[in-house]
Amino acid sequence: MNLRLHIWRQAGPNDTGMLKTYDLANVSEHMSFLEMLDVLNEELIAKGEIPVAFDHDCREGICGTCGMVINGRPHGPLARTTACQLHMRTFKDGDEIYIEPWRAKAFPVLRDLVVDRGSFDRIIQKGGFVSVNTGNAQDGNTIPIGKPDADRAMDAAACIGCGACVAACPNSSAMLFTAAKIGHLASLPQGQAERSSRAMNMVLQMDTEGFGACTNHYECEAACPKGISAEFIAQMNRDFVASALGGKG
Amino acid sequence: MKAFGDIWRSNLFQKWLMAITGLFLVLFLLGHLSGNLLVFLGQAHINEYAHGLRTMGHGAVLWGARIGLLTFFILHVASAITLSRRNRQARPQKYARVEARSSTLASRTMLYSGLLLITYVLYHLAHFTWGAVHAQHYAQATFILPSGELVPDVYTMVVKSFSEPLITVLYLLSMVMVGLHLNHAIASAFQTLGVTNRRIVPLVRTIGPALSILIALGFSAVPLAIILGLVKI
Repeated sequence: MNLRLHIWRQAGPNDTGMLKTYDLANVSEHMSFLEMLDVLNEELIAKGEIPVAFDHDCREGICGTCGMVINGRPHGPLARTTACQLHMRTFKDGDEIYIEPWRAKAFPVLRDLVVDRGSFDRIIQKGGFVSVNTGNAQDGNTIPIGKPDADRAMDAAACIGCGACVAACPNSSAMLFTAAKIGHLASLPQGQAERSSRAMNMVLQMDTEGFGACTNHYECEAACPKGISAEFIAQMNRDFVASALGGKG
Repeated sequence: MKAFGDIWRSNLFQKWLMAITGLFLVLFLLGHLSGNLLVFLGQAHINEYAHGLRTMGHGAVLWGARIGLLTFFILHVASAITLSRRNRQARPQKYARVEARSSTLASRTMLYSGLLLITYVLYHLAHFTWGAVHAQHYAQATFILPSGELVPDVYTMVVKSFSEPLITVLYLLSMVMVGLHLNHAIASAFQTLGVTNRRIVPLVRTIGPALSILIALGFSAVPLAIILGLVKI
């Protein structure tokens, strides 16, 4: 198939950037979206032009590295699908495709479609972990955890930290990401010791990073490639207020 | 432990403030609406009710409610302005193309419907509370209650006002705004307050929008009935 691509090109963090149009011919429907970009880049290199920079790693939908807004939707039109798992059969001959980076003050563009998601790392550093003494790992079955709790923790832990929730949110809010991390540990006994301070510190770090606030559109939930529920945001809201009232955060 | 100021300024606390004040304002609207509907029971009922509101606890109840409402209103608007500004700053560069998946007209226009509602509330107070606009209808008429007391005739004021098509149209349009705002607001407030119960959440997401329509229709019923001549002096 033949495609017309409108891709955000930006030479560096301080460049203003603009959408550039490329015509790409003979795209196979079996290619993944990233492979299609690889082919475009090969053509650009052959012509002596600078290839399009984009993030990617596992290319099997589990690492959270890839991510771009494809025709106005993070990771493209398919639900619960990362950009690397999106295939060109989703598109048809003659389609125009807009490809833009995640847009958020807290995700500055480094180059073309590559953004700096260090703000997510700094939120995690504020409490997205449990503190345990080192030494021999205890037996996995020492702490009994009910199946519903384990499932709920897993639902939240499915977050791959790709940032699609921020990209989809009209307010560039990171609440689904942060809520998934808080909700994951809050569902497990190991997470209880630091539950209060975790909720407080991670929530305040979101503000420090310049993410917006949630207005409950649930665009994040719809865009999440792992289908994480906005229910975790409600739980985070409750944990935050409990922490504020309890004074332990 | 974090300082109170840090918590107060946080996005989540501001959201929480907006949700809780908003829910109180919805409760007020329900009370207001039930009072309004007394118009349908006749002149004596609504005049007696209005007189009762003014004199309950020698006016202390009315003034307490007014101060409370004003406080909630100011906190609600202030948190909305704070959050909207931050939300805008959080995305300095817009997308060339956006395809919404789950947001609604109501959810995307909360700021605008809210701002329009502020102007409406001012107009509405100027009309029925202060008598600063449409003063020709403002409670000059009096009414003798069954108890023999001489009180302002709220019923006549309302009927005369809504007999003017322009006033009725302004109020009906404002009620569309109320409905639009509440359509997203009610269920949204429960989410912000942290309700995760899987039996309650679907209920709230159904009842919230339904209640918004009922409130808008309920308030519209009075001016509509008057302009259609179903309620008259």
